[in-house]
Amino acid sequence: MKLGIGARITAVFGLGALLLSILMGGLSYFTIRHFLLAGRESAAQHQAFANAAVVRSSLEAGNTGYVALLVSIDAGTDAHSVLYRQSKAYASSLVVNASTLPHTLRQDVLSGTPETQTFRTPSGTAEIVIGLPIPSVHAAYFDVFDLSDLDHTLSVLGLTLFGAGVVTTLLGVALGRFASRRLLQPLADVTQAAGAIAGGHLETRLDADAADPDLQGLTNSFNTMVDQLQERIEREGRFNSDVSHELRSPLTTLAASVEVLEADRDKMPPRSQRALQLLSDDLRRFERMVGELLEISRADAGSVDVFLEEVNVAELVRRSVETGFAHMDRHSNPTPPTVQVDPEVAAWRVGVDKRRFERVMVNLLENADHYGGGATNVSVRPGPGHLVEVTVDDAGPGIEPAERSRVFERFYRGSASGRRGAGRGTGLGLALVTEHMRVMSGSVRVDVSPEGGARFVLVLPVIPRDDDPEPAGAPETEVLR
Amino acid sequence: MSGRILVVEDDERIRSSMRLALEGEGYEVRDAASAEEGLDLFAEAPTDVALIDLMLPGMDGFECTRALRRSSAVPIIIVTARSDTHDVVAGLEAGADDYVTKPFVAKELAARIRALLRRARPADEQPGALTFGDLQLLPEQGVLRRLDGEEVHCTRTEFRLLCELAASPNKVLSREQLLDRVWGYDYFGDGRLVDVHIRRLRTKVEADPSVPQHILTVRGMGYKLVP
Repeated sequence: MKLGIGARITAVFGLGALLLSILMGGLSYFTIRHFLLAGRESAAQHQAFANAAVVRSSLEAGNTGYVALLVSIDAGTDAHSVLYRQSKAYASSLVVNASTLPHTLRQDVLSGTPETQTFRTPSGTAEIVIGLPIPSVHAAYFDVFDLSDLDHTLSVLGLTLFGAGVVTTLLGVALGRFASRRLLQPLADVTQAAGAIAGGHLETRLDADAADPDLQGLTNSFNTMVDQLQERIEREGRFNSDVSHELRSPLTTLAASVEVLEADRDKMPPRSQRALQLLSDDLRRFERMVGELLEISRADAGSVDVFLEEVNVAELVRRSVETGFAHMDRHSNPTPPTVQVDPEVAAWRVGVDKRRFERVMVNLLENADHYGGGATNVSVRPGPGHLVEVTVDDAGPGIEPAERSRVFERFYRGSASGRRGAGRGTGLGLALVTEHMRVMSGSVRVDVSPEGGARFVLVLPVIPRDDDPEPAGAPETEVLR
Repeated sequence: MSGRILVVEDDERIRSSMRLALEGEGYEVRDAASAEEGLDLFAEAPTDVALIDLMLPGMDGFECTRALRRSSAVPIIIVTARSDTHDVVAGLEAGADDYVTKPFVAKELAARIRALLRRARPADEQPGALTFGDLQLLPEQGVLRRLDGEEVHCTRTEFRLLCELAASPNKVLSREQLLDRVWGYDYFGDGRLVDVHIRRLRTKVEADPSVPQHILTVRGMGYKLVP
């Protein structure tokens, strides 16, 4: 996974703070520990030497009450003494005895080397032991001091430093976030502006005066780019409407003139009648082609105009099929498809541009007519979630799964071309269905009907009803009125 | 059915073909190549319906529509090569009653003209006089006036729309019903026709058109008149 620049800045700040606190904390801990321990060690050594002197004089005087001697030495302190003489060990307490002493230290001291060492007893308390050989009486004296208070102090210190480290790291992360936000704010502004422009607000610009001096260049070139983009889009829009006007003018003349001729059709010789039929059929096809090309170029330019109305979906579909069937360019199928409405959706409402929906229906019916032997059945049924589905089935062989998404491409003539449909339609019908559905917040897909033919499924969001039945216990005046 | 039609269209070929087609439908046609010429012709002789192209050299179709509207309640159909919301709505707001998009079918245009020329309703279905706010609607005389006697001028289409709403006060009429009864369109008529006309009507009958008291919108349903 790739980290964003903001996350990386935050991580660097956090990591830096973590390293810094480990360094500072570690340094403080070990320095303090060293000083405290050194102090305790020298104090312990002083006492151990004094005690060893007492032991030596006592042993030289021939005293053999070793344990009593050791106990009297330890009295009033928290130290414990161990004495070795003639390979026997004597201890002043049960807490510390010969076996708890570190082995190497004992060996060294018994062989004549004085030594100091810190260690932990099996029960976990920290101790410092000073071992002193007393050669004049063939003995070795060990003085063991409890370090648990020092241990406690150091663990509190360690915990405090650890806590401070955590806080420092978190502060580092917070600082990193703050810094990255500040740093990335101009980029966020650009992103927002670009989003607004993509959403159709072409007049959006970055505030050139408020911009950071370091980012003036970015701001200026962004604004220049949008200026040019806006100009191009407007030029394209003008071009489209000019083309529209220029193409439609001669078409208007042609259409009106052909109608005048058609009024006199009966007075014409059969050859002229046939020619007029060809002329008027292809004129209508040409009109549709121009209309659909303009529609699709408007869609590409993002300048579609949609007039959404809230209507009953069942009525919409019934009416669209009825009018669509009457207006469509029909070749094979003499009977209109049946319309089935699932009782559940009978009262559902949708927000559509009715005339776009009618064109969708005409295009689907024509498509079924040209390539699928005519539409057989149209149904309105509930879809998943807050959606309603309108299906249009045909009597054809169905569409291969591989071709299903491609049929919505512009001018796509799949394996079905060359058969019934060749030379009919504009090649834009299904592409426009997609476009019309998209601007109405819906979608279209192709499936297979239960009879094996193609099934086109239109999906539209349902408008929630605000006159839903009152919850139980509502006033009954509604009924009485 | 005959009627006198004024065609304002700058393209000579379209003008000729429209004349041929409309004469074929039994109308009496006079044509003008510019808005200025059209306004002169309109002043010279009575006209039943005016057809105005929106793209005209010099004074454009919107301006021509507004100029006609200032002096007359004649039904106006605008002819546009662009079906953009902007052009259609701007044309309707300038005072047009209906619109057709190029290329149109002459039969369709003839049907639109017939719908505009037709009487509001058969006489026996005419709603009685209705008073709402400080206004009095007299469908029989074709008059809308204030209670102090001052007449409120509205176009034939606005008047018919008001009569339809007044025929069933407090009852919601859908856009489709209004399109059918006033303009003669089927289910797929353009609902913007209704919306713009309602808006225009409100500026004439409401004290504050932005807070209507009489002609109310019922969201998702249509419009109703509340006396």
